[in-house]
Amino acid sequence: MAIRGEIYEWELVGKELTLADTPAAGQEYSIFTSNYGSAVVQPSLVSEDSFVVINKIACTPGVSPNQYELDGTELIKWIPNMFVQIVINTTGYYRDPQNLYSAGISGMASPYPQTVNRIKYYELWPPIYVLSDQTWDIRFTLFNDLRKAYANGLFATIGDDVVLAQVFVDYTLFDGTDAMLARKLLSIGVPVSVDTVQWLRQIILQNRGLDTETFDFYLKAIREISIKQKENRIKQGMATKNDYDPKDNLNL
Amino acid sequence: MAIRRQAHEWRNIMPIGETVNLNYHPVLVPNNAHTIFMPAGIPVDIFVGNIGNTLDIPAELKAFQYIVLDAIAVSPPHLAAQIYVNTTRYFQNPDGTVSEGISGKVVPFPNGQDGIINYDYVDGLNPPLYIAPGQTWGVEVTPITDIIGYQGASLTDETIAYCYVKYLLIDGVDSLVAKALINAGWPLTVENIQKYKEIVAKNHIFAGTAELPDSIKNRKRRV
Repeated sequence: MAIRGEIYEWELVGKELTLADTPAAGQEYSIFTSNYGSAVVQPSLVSEDSFVVINKIACTPGVSPNQYELDGTELIKWIPNMFVQIVINTTGYYRDPQNLYSAGISGMASPYPQTVNRIKYYELWPPIYVLSDQTWDIRFTLFNDLRKAYANGLFATIGDDVVLAQVFVDYTLFDGTDAMLARKLLSIGVPVSVDTVQWLRQIILQNRGLDTETFDFYLKAIREISIKQKENRIKQGMATKNDYDPKDNLNL
Repeated sequence: MAIRRQAHEWRNIMPIGETVNLNYHPVLVPNNAHTIFMPAGIPVDIFVGNIGNTLDIPAELKAFQYIVLDAIAVSPPHLAAQIYVNTTRYFQNPDGTVSEGISGKVVPFPNGQDGIINYDYVDGLNPPLYIAPGQTWGVEVTPITDIIGYQGASLTDETIAYCYVKYLLIDGVDSLVAKALINAGWPLTVENIQKYKEIVAKNHIFAGTAELPDSIKNRKRRV
């Protein structure tokens, strides 16, 4: 499984949250390494034999903070008003029009899940390449203040199954020799995709098979190298008796 | 990250008592938010217009940047968006006068808002708009009829005014490629930029493996 189409779905649900410690509004958190939601154990470092292409990113749509719903004092619906940013090492992908780091793309432009009245506008094209030894991160920012809503007494508890925020990432993982092919494509300026990596592999297999002519070529090359080395030893005064023995001369 | 697909979103929603928030979207608290009233016929700049989330300075491209502005969308249906580059407006009436722009009935945001789906501009503006280094650009939204200010339970996602701009930011070395493409008359697309770089890289590979001309190969070593 050297090329894999991977997805990662991050979710922040009521039962995973301590009311005293909810994500602060307007502040950025990692979906991988923050203590919120279904996080993973370590940052996403692309290993030296891997190559990652990020194809899609999406998050929960909705803006108005007044569209919450309560069941008594229990919160049963929440609109996060969220944005997601992609960070490679220390560089943020999204900038605002004045060239400053921004919160990223909203769930209104790239909704997850998509519904009939929330269709995506945003397409991550060209995709983002994450090279070996780079780390990549997806960071979310909530602009509707859950913490303050709780402090203001809007609700006392959150329903266990209430989905507060979601993020979806689609990426392709090239592993092993396919990662080498991906890097080769990158170095010759060809876009890296599943199709182009398979195309390069096909070309290499077609062109470099071991046939009789190839064997003869390498045999001749080895002989020539051996003769050259012998000549050098004679020139340098480092030759042994075998180097002068006509029987052992490979250049017959 | 020299070619980046960027998007900017403007909204007229703010905390009660405020009308503008610089550089970021405002943090909102339930039951303490409102949308700003916008009178008909008065254009508002989404970058420096003093309503909603705005910027410190107008969007101006640096010497090593190109932008391909390829999509714009607005809501509600009676809001129109007009793109400007320096002092020139993009959308015109048939008589050559400047129009209010493209409305949310054609390009709704979010797509599917009020049951309206963007069918005509699925692939964005055709042809897209190129913005060259040093040029200033922006988007103005003009209400065709008054946009009412809402708060409380009537403040929903459907009663907020939005404007969304999607563009390709070509930066650094890729902006040189962009310039070469424009000079050669090629459309400025991701695919063409990649193709051009591929051709350049291939030429370099062949240059490295080619036999050197005699004039270089046989010339005397200079010390």
